Amino acid sequence: MFRFQKDQTICNIAGTKVGGQPGELPSVIAGTIFYKGHKIVSDPTKGLFDKSSAEELINIQQQGSDETKIPSIIHIYAESSESIIRYIDFIDNISDVPFIVDSSEPDVRINASKHVTETGLADRAIYNSLNMSTEYEEIEALKISDVDSAIILGFNAVDSSLDGRISLLDNGGNLLDKGLIDVAEECGIRNKLIDPSITPMGNGAGIALRMSIVSKAKWGLPVGSGIHNAPSSWKWLQEKKKEDYLKYKICDIGSVSMQVVAAGDYVLYGPIENSPYVFPIVSMADIMVRESVDDLGIESSLMHPINYLV
Amino acid sequence: MDNIAENWPPFKGDYIIGDPESCIAVVTLASSIETCDEAAIWGTCKTENLGVEKVVTNVISNSNIRYILLCGGESRGHLSGKSLISLHENGIDNNGRIIGSEGAIPFIENIPESAIKRFQEQVDIVDMTGITDTEKIHRLVHEYYRKNGPYEENPYILQKNNKKPAKTIKAGSSADIIISEEFGIDSVTGSIFKINV
Repeated sequence: MFRFQKDQTICNIAGTKVGGQPGELPSVIAGTIFYKGHKIVSDPTKGLFDKSSAEELINIQQQGSDETKIPSIIHIYAESSESIIRYIDFIDNISDVPFIVDSSEPDVRINASKHVTETGLADRAIYNSLNMSTEYEEIEALKISDVDSAIILGFNAVDSSLDGRISLLDNGGNLLDKGLIDVAEECGIRNKLIDPSITPMGNGAGIALRMSIVSKAKWGLPVGSGIHNAPSSWKWLQEKKKEDYLKYKICDIGSVSMQVVAAGDYVLYGPIENSPYVFPIVSMADIMVRESVDDLGIESSLMHPINYLV
Repeated sequence: MDNIAENWPPFKGDYIIGDPESCIAVVTLASSIETCDEAAIWGTCKTENLGVEKVVTNVISNSNIRYILLCGGESRGHLSGKSLISLHENGIDNNGRIIGSEGAIPFIENIPESAIKRFQEQVDIVDMTGITDTEKIHRLVHEYYRKNGPYEENPYILQKNNKKPAKTIKAGSSADIIISEEFGIDSVTGSIFKINV
């Protein structure tokens, strides 16, 4: 394995540390709750859901963290401005870990940034995401909010090559007036988490792995992704899933370790139900990475699975 | 003239093939709706960039298809249905952005303008976005099934190798392992460093 000559930033998000040299800190993982089609959600517009099931899922994830020392955060996905508030308030009542606020609708994300500012939860919130389509209204809303952590997405729909993704973050890549990292800075984002963007396999999914390494070398910022989206959008694997679900599950969960080994600092692993399977594989990958850099002068955190599981 | 490309449709996706001689394709956007054999191809389209590209590519490679029925629920945030309509009506600008689309990231990267022009000329869009009533959709498919003859040109074939070739990195640097034009790894120290070029 390797170490970066560039100093690596460690972000502290409400006590959860993410980033650093490979093997320095355990990876941080995030399970998604209230996602599209989540069976515990009865009304995604109003934000109605089965609270006891939600609490149980979050507790199971937390137990995995406690046992392995792999920190976890909660990835909240919402479809409406009404539901995102209900979800955030619920999470606040039952957990103290950071949470990602996410939606495909800008208005929902903006509402989330307002709500966490008003309720004093902004230090726990990670905004997902600043990307090539982020517009003026969203940038202005972030500027006046207290949110200081965000995922910066390297998805370049015009040029999905490594250069295209890097330049989008660096200088706007002929699409934006400035790079998304500068945009984040202007929005008051202190904790910048790079996401190289997982496109479908056949459309450059693998580029994200190399970009993970290159972006850490270039900026020293924490990097991670929702890499499970690559196998989940793989048509061939979907067919195999029908004949043997395990074939799909192995690729789905296994993909998480690929991001960890490719210098990843955090991983969005998909449905939170998968947490019991994700903790072991991330622990394994973290221990392997840690052992591989033993003689590279990298000191690892005491709270690392290598100190508890082997 | 063969109206259907060999090994049609060229791109894999979340769709089912019905009657390739039919002149209607059905895009159910973000919904799953029971299929009907009278459609040439029947599937979802959830994203305003890669999803739209796949629809265009798979449609223009079958000259029999003259109509696209848009139905089902719109893909929230992505607005893939509206993006498909905008692409059909307005095309793309110099940056590849679908003109008039309000989807999240409505950009076309992997298909040339000539393919978009062909798409605009070959098909009409029947916009029934929001309709999920299976019976009504099947009735519409039946209505359009044989409504028009094939487009009077060969199928437009856009294979994966039509994509822009990837740029090759020049290996003339001092690094043992090349990561990018800018960075390499020293195999002895395991250090990732900036290459002096």
